[in-house]
Amino acid sequence: MDLSRFETDNSVSCRLVSEIPDVCRTEDCCLGIDEAGRGPVLGPMVYGICFCPVSKKQALKDSKVADSKTLTEAERENLFQKLDEARSYVGWALQVLSPNTISTSMLQRTKYNLNALSHDTAIGLVQYALDSGVQLKEVFVDTVGSAEKYEDKLSKLFPAIDVTVRPKADSLFPIVSAASICAKVARDRIVKGWNFAEDLGDVDTDYGSGYPNDPKTKAWLLKYLDPVFGYPQFVRFSWSTAQTLMDSKGVTVHWDDEDEDGEKAAQRQNNKSMLAYFSAGGNDQNPSRQTHRFFTERRLKSLDTL
Amino acid sequence: MATKKKRTPNVQNNSWVVIAADSSIDSQKHESEPAFVRLRNPSTDATSLYMLSSGDVQLFEVKAFEEDFHSWFVGQTVQRDGRLLFVTPMDPLYLMMPYLIKSGKEGKFQPVDQVVVDEEFPACSRLLRCTRSLASLHHIAEEKEVGKQRFHRYSHEKTMTWLKKKVERAVCVLKARNISVGERVKSRTYIRVKSESDYHDEDYLRYAHGLISEYLSEDLSKALLKHLQLPELTSPKESEPPSKKRKLSDKPVEAEEDYTKFNSADFARKPPKKMTAAQKSLAKADKTGMKTMSSFFSPKAKAEKK
Amino acid sequence: MSGNTSVTRVDVSSVAQAQRVPVHFLPCEIEHNGPAQVSEYLTTTTKDCKLEKTVSFRGRGLKGQELSCPQGYTGLVLKETNKPSSDHEDRTLRVSSVFDKLTYWNLETPPNSDDTVVMAMDWPELAEAIHGPVED
Repeated sequence: MDLSRFETDNSVSCRLVSEIPDVCRTEDCCLGIDEAGRGPVLGPMVYGICFCPVSKKQALKDSKVADSKTLTEAERENLFQKLDEARSYVGWALQVLSPNTISTSMLQRTKYNLNALSHDTAIGLVQYALDSGVQLKEVFVDTVGSAEKYEDKLSKLFPAIDVTVRPKADSLFPIVSAASICAKVARDRIVKGWNFAEDLGDVDTDYGSGYPNDPKTKAWLLKYLDPVFGYPQFVRFSWSTAQTLMDSKGVTVHWDDEDEDGEKAAQRQNNKSMLAYFSAGGNDQNPSRQTHRFFTERRLKSLDTL
Repeated sequence: MATKKKRTPNVQNNSWVVIAADSSIDSQKHESEPAFVRLRNPSTDATSLYMLSSGDVQLFEVKAFEEDFHSWFVGQTVQRDGRLLFVTPMDPLYLMMPYLIKSGKEGKFQPVDQVVVDEEFPACSRLLRCTRSLASLHHIAEEKEVGKQRFHRYSHEKTMTWLKKKVERAVCVLKARNISVGERVKSRTYIRVKSESDYHDEDYLRYAHGLISEYLSEDLSKALLKHLQLPELTSPKESEPPSKKRKLSDKPVEAEEDYTKFNSADFARKPPKKMTAAQKSLAKADKTGMKTMSSFFSPKAKAEKK
Repeated sequence: MSGNTSVTRVDVSSVAQAQRVPVHFLPCEIEHNGPAQVSEYLTTTTKDCKLEKTVSFRGRGLKGQELSCPQGYTGLVLKETNKPSSDHEDRTLRVSSVFDKLTYWNLETPPNSDDTVVMAMDWPELAEAIHGPVED
């Protein structure tokens, strides 16, 4: 698994792919989808697909590819090795969503939530397999949200494919387990070798599991909190853990699309308009005179004091 | 995920980001340093901030580009105040004119240093030290020399000629910089039938007149409009800034044509007696704002709050 | 009227010692005046593409571009070290930094000529037209 393409720029989303086995272009195939790293406050979320001919399902099962969650990191590396050895009939593709992509998407003006991001990424990967000539007949998906709705959505998008969306699909369908292993191995390696774009000197890499409730992760988040910038791009700013720490220990930052209490917002706007009224006319002997639009359009105004 | 955060006032502001004409900080050996001073704004009659260069050689205007929700990074620091100040050269005649007009009402030639004085704004006498001031006074006043002393008397005709040149200069730059002065299509239906290009020129002229009017009293602004032979626009749908519409429509036409009133004794900046509906509603709205604000600050209101 | 008699001097001799610094105009209000690790966090993570620069601040995507000071103009950062207690006293500012271009950032929107700060840069040339000397 070559991660160098992502590692040269770990602030964006990146697709990493295996060779497409020839047999997948000629025989009916099944495809599994799973994700790794949805919960952690640190590092990327990795989406994985794995595909093989339907006729090779048993062979895949025999290779004892099981739910990656029950495996140790070493076992997963070992199983990925096995998948790699089966590359004559097993192919995979990964979409690495950098923590920066997750932060900026979820915090976007028009919010792009994690579920939508997940769905779009999965759909993108299935489309990639189709575009690459993989003869897809069955797709198995692991899900966290509502399985029914997701299954509906995918079936409508890919009417020629038999779509099965299940919670815990990774322990039910070997092809999903295989996808899960690819995704997890990639995420583990990326997190371990994270290259901080920020100039932070030697960064302590003892960040624990990355889950917000892990004491090691918490300690790391406290240690690396910058009062102005918050965190390096390794951290998902959209996680409430990060937000809460920044709110309590960092400098307050206001954006123009910030949610405000209706009352407060109204009050502030009211204040603003009053200020504008007083500053525009000065002592206001002549309220009918208005600043020319050249200036108002350019947000330029006179001052009476520094 | 933006949280509800209260904005606190920026009380300790002690730095400003400025874009300044090079000549404003020219540190040639003059006895005094460049300084921000407060002078009477010729358009609003209120206090505005200006700058005098070293030795009072040149006058500058200070304007602030100000949009909500902005801050600066300056080197390795944060400056919360997100304003961008512009320090641009200013013609001192605009500031001296109101004083000359006032004394001109007596019809006598006077030494200008006895005219440009203001108890409220003592710095105004420094305007006479600007290199350009005495050299350009002839644009707005008649001059007489008796012995070594020079005397001046405000001339409305000269001023109009001078202001017209100003407007023409502004039109050139507006055209050269491609600044959008276009009035909305609607307004054209209210103007006499003209060729397409004439409309265009008139738009520029009107726009430039509006810009120059930022430095003129309301009456002078109106007189200049006449001098430029710009027809008055009386439709409320017209797209000039609303103030202009109101200004133009709140007095009978005959009064506009009487230039002599600028030299007459009753010339003074008074709020218009008659109010249009728009003005009335504006005045009403403003009062509401003031009431809220005063009650907000008054100790009585606080006591009521408990 | 209070304060109209006082002046605020600019210590021009400080220009000589003023440092040339990178200046960023941000689309958010940061409730802070003071040090920040700008080069460590912002400069190192800024991407320079042909049409725009991109970076993120506090998890929000910014797009920006450089903007030069108009011809004949210099960027200054003025600082007041000792603020007088009343507004009747004269004040003194020194030039702490200078710049000839700034980078302005929009929240998510690609920079374009309609951005208000770009339009505001029209002002110096217009000011010259309005205030420059008129020939006889």
